[in-house]
Order: sequence, then structure tokens, then C-alpha cells
Amino acid sequence: MADIPTSGPVPVLDARRIATAASRRRRNAALSRRINILVGLLSIPLFLLVWQLVAQAKIVNAILFPPPTEVARAAVEWIASGEFVSDLSASLRRVTIGYVVGAALGVGLGLLTGRSAFFSGLFGPIFQILRPIPPIAFVPIVILWFGLSEGGKIFLIVWGVFFTVWLSTHLGVQKADQGLVRAAQMLGTPRRRLVGEVVLLSALPFIVVGLRTAVGISFYTLVAAELAGAFAGVFYRIQLAQQNMQTGQVFAGLLALGLISFVADRGFAALAQRLVWWR
Amino acid sequence: MSLLQFARKMAPAQPGPAPLARRAEIEIEVRDVTIAFERDGGQFVPAVDRVSFDVRRGEFICLLGPSGCGKSTILNSVAGFEHPFAGEVRVAGRDVTGPGPDRGVVFQQPCLFPWKSVRANVAHGPRMAGKSRAEAGAIADTLIEMIGLTRFASALPHTLSGGMQQRVAIARAMANKPNILLMDEPFGALDAQTRSIMQESLLQLWSQVGATILFVTHDIDEAVLLADRVLVMSAGPGRIIRDVTVDLPRPRSLDTTLDARFQELRKECLDLIRQQSIKAFEGTPHV
Repeated sequence: MADIPTSGPVPVLDARRIATAASRRRRNAALSRRINILVGLLSIPLFLLVWQLVAQAKIVNAILFPPPTEVARAAVEWIASGEFVSDLSASLRRVTIGYVVGAALGVGLGLLTGRSAFFSGLFGPIFQILRPIPPIAFVPIVILWFGLSEGGKIFLIVWGVFFTVWLSTHLGVQKADQGLVRAAQMLGTPRRRLVGEVVLLSALPFIVVGLRTAVGISFYTLVAAELAGAFAGVFYRIQLAQQNMQTGQVFAGLLALGLISFVADRGFAALAQRLVWWR
Repeated sequence: MSLLQFARKMAPAQPGPAPLARRAEIEIEVRDVTIAFERDGGQFVPAVDRVSFDVRRGEFICLLGPSGCGKSTILNSVAGFEHPFAGEVRVAGRDVTGPGPDRGVVFQQPCLFPWKSVRANVAHGPRMAGKSRAEAGAIADTLIEMIGLTRFASALPHTLSGGMQQRVAIARAMANKPNILLMDEPFGALDAQTRSIMQESLLQLWSQVGATILFVTHDIDEAVLLADRVLVMSAGPGRIIRDVTVDLPRPRSLDTTLDARFQELRKECLDLIRQQSIKAFEGTPHV
């Protein structure tokens, strides 16, 4: 058996050439990174500029398609009048209450139907039929049931949030790692603690996905809820402005809706990372 | 619960033969155990057919057989995860009705709680047994030191290698000081080098704690190296075809595999397994 020679002439690399090549590569990477950041920063101003130019070119009716300057003016007026704060707080209050109630019901019933074949058989078919009905379709009946009260609006948001959270919890619980359940059992985990100690945590990544989807849904459903008639709210303001032909205000309302659901989604994404801390 | 399980539960207790003379040293009794699984279409396929064996207290038993021979099913019935269709499984003289902390289980996958640190994983059993946080932590620390992972006590499982995770799983299974350790191909997913180190350290741990071990494997060398007795199984449906006593001296190490007697025993098992594999390969029913 011959040993493979480990000594001998080693190809000599010119240290200076390596250094220059490396620094060139670093410079190129830094440059393209800077360009990408710059493009990202320009995205919104460019969009606004094009919008402004198109609106000023009078290709379309300026009343129907107001320029960004007009939208900004309407937004400032909205904020200065104090109506923005009352609209925002009315909308956020509905979304928050509806979301919390819907999510709590969804997680609770999802645990029940996911763990028990009896309750899965009892509730599963009903939920599966009710789930695809868009919440907005319930607006007429909700007006009859609740009139213009807050109860009806919260009901719609609960409805929208509940099914998504229920389904993801149900699936998460059913897919809970059987190996972990067995491990917990052989370690003497009592039945009543198995759900809290193992099943719920095992299903948590699924539940979090459902909860995040439900954040978006709760804002869609908010629109349906305020469509049912309201006295304050971001979408209520949009409707009112439309009736008065205040298109600047309409756009300002739409932007506000976009912004708050964006912030809510990002906020939840950050929270989700803490919820599933072991990933 | 399947209908059959339900029917079995409701069936009146058979006035069977008089209980066997209780020999004090018998820890696990498996008597005429048959376990069948339901296929799509309602047909029952036996996985394990009338298997009987005893394990004495402190004994190291390997169940050896080709894959799919039902050896894991037998282990699961002793663990209480699987209920026999017919026959009896008794641990320390009592019928097994479900899983419990008197039988630590190590699975093929580590099955560690991914949200708990190494220390919290090992401490879980003692916590469930009602020990205080401090007491359970102390038990965990001792075991983690025994497996040489003190440095990783506060790490989350996914940051450890497969071998390290399986060591934690072994420590966790031992934390309730069970009389019985059930190990279901625990080193099957590890690379060859890690596996042989794990085998030696398992033997060392066992000599310190002296539990009764039922170890399932399809690796002949592993079975002969570890066991006091190797129960060789046939496939489809699983039966025990030979009870091989391994009379190699202890303590054993990797060097034991060079022993002439080791090679003899290995050959004996290999021939049996090979016959079974050929039968399975040719599809000849041997029932």
C-alpha cells in the first residue's frame, strides 16, 4: 500500500492578484447593493410623479382622477378636522374586537375538532359549507338582524376571521407530530396536559399562518362591515366622499386603508417570529 | 377507536388458563401476541403472529429481523402505543394498558420537543412526575453530563447534530428512572461512525443504570454486540424463529466484533436472516 505523497511543489498564487480580485468583487457587490436600495427608494416618488403628470395632462377628467397633490391636500384636511382620528379609531376598534373574538373561537373550536373525531364529525360539515360564503354576502341579513349597531359589524369580522383560524388550527392539530405525542405520553404527561404541552405547540406554526391570513381578511371584512352602514370609519369616509364627489378624499381613504393593513400585516409578521420562537 | 378495538374492549374476560407462576425476575412477558392492521377494503393483515417471549430483569434483548417483520409493532405493544389483537403483554406482572413513565422509549427519530431546550426536554419527565423545577433540573443536568452535552444544555434541539439529538433522547427516556428502556432502531438514522460510538456509550450507560432493555434493530452486528439474547424474527407475518444467547463476556467494545465467537454468532443470525430475506424476495409464503 503506497502512501499518497503530501509534500511537493504547490502551485504558487500571487497574493497581490488575489487581493485585487477580491476587492474588485467586493466593490461590485457593494455597488449593485447600493443601486438596488436607490431603486427601492425611488419606487414610490416615481409612481407619484407619473401619477401627477398623467393627472395634469388632462387626459382624463381631473375631478374623477385627482393628482397626488389634491389627494395630499384632502388627507391633510381630513387629519386637521379630527375626523381622521375618529374614523381610524372606529375602524380599528371593530377590526380588533372582531379579530380577537374570531381568532379565539377559531383556535378553541379548532383544538376541539382537531382532537375529537366526534366534534369533527359534528361541526366539520357545517363549517365547510359556511366557510366559502364571502362575509360581504351577509351584509343584507346583518342589517336586518343588527340594524346599524356595532354588533353587526363585529359579527361580520368575526365571521371572516373565524373560519380561516378554525381551519388552520384544525389541520395543525390533526397534523401534530405523533412522535412528539408518543414521546410525551411515555414520559408520563397526563392526558389533560397533553393538549397544552404538546399538541398546541406542535400546531402553532400552522395556527400562526392562519392568524396572519386572518389579519388581511379582517380588513377586507371591515369594508363589508362599514358598507352595511356606519357613522364613522375609514371606509364610511370613502363612501361619504364618493357621494359628495370629493375624489381626493376617496383616494386619501384608500391610501389609509392600504397603509393600516400593511402596518398590521408587518406587525403581525414580526410577532409571529416571536410566537414560533424555536424556528 | 376502531370497531375492533371497541369490540375487544367490550368482550367478556376469557376464563383463560391459571396465571403463570410469577417468577420474580421476569420484567416483560409477551404471550401469544397477534397484532393485525386493517388494509383499505376492510381486510386484516397480521403484522405479528403469536409471538411469545420473556425478558428478565436487567437483561438486554435485541429483536432482530428484516424490515417489515413487525419488530417495532411488538415494541410498541410493550410501550402501550399499540394494543394486541390477541394475547397478552405484561410488564412487572401487570397488563399493559397504555404508555407510562415506567417504560422509557427511544424512537428511531429523536422526537425531541423542538420548542424546549435540551435541559427542558430531559427535565420534562420528572416535571410530569411532580418533581419541582429545581429537582427536575438537577436530574436533567446529571444525565446531560453523562451523555457529555453539558455545553449544549440550553441549546434548542435543531441546533444539534443527529447523534447529539439521539443522545438527548436517550437521556430524556432515562430521566424518570424507568426499569425498562424500549429502543426502536435508535441508531438507524445515524452514520456508521456515529452509530458505533453510540453503541459503545449505550453499553456504558446501561452498565451504570442496569435497566432492562428491549432493543429493536435490523443490524446483525449491532444486535450481537449489544444483546444478552437476540430474538431473530421472520417476516410477513412476524414470528420469532430463534432465541440466540450471546455468551460474549462483558464489558464489550468495538473490539468484541473481532472475536471469533462474535463472528460465529453473527454468522448464525446472518444465515437465518438471509433465508428469510430470500423467502421474502421470492415471495414464497412460508406460513
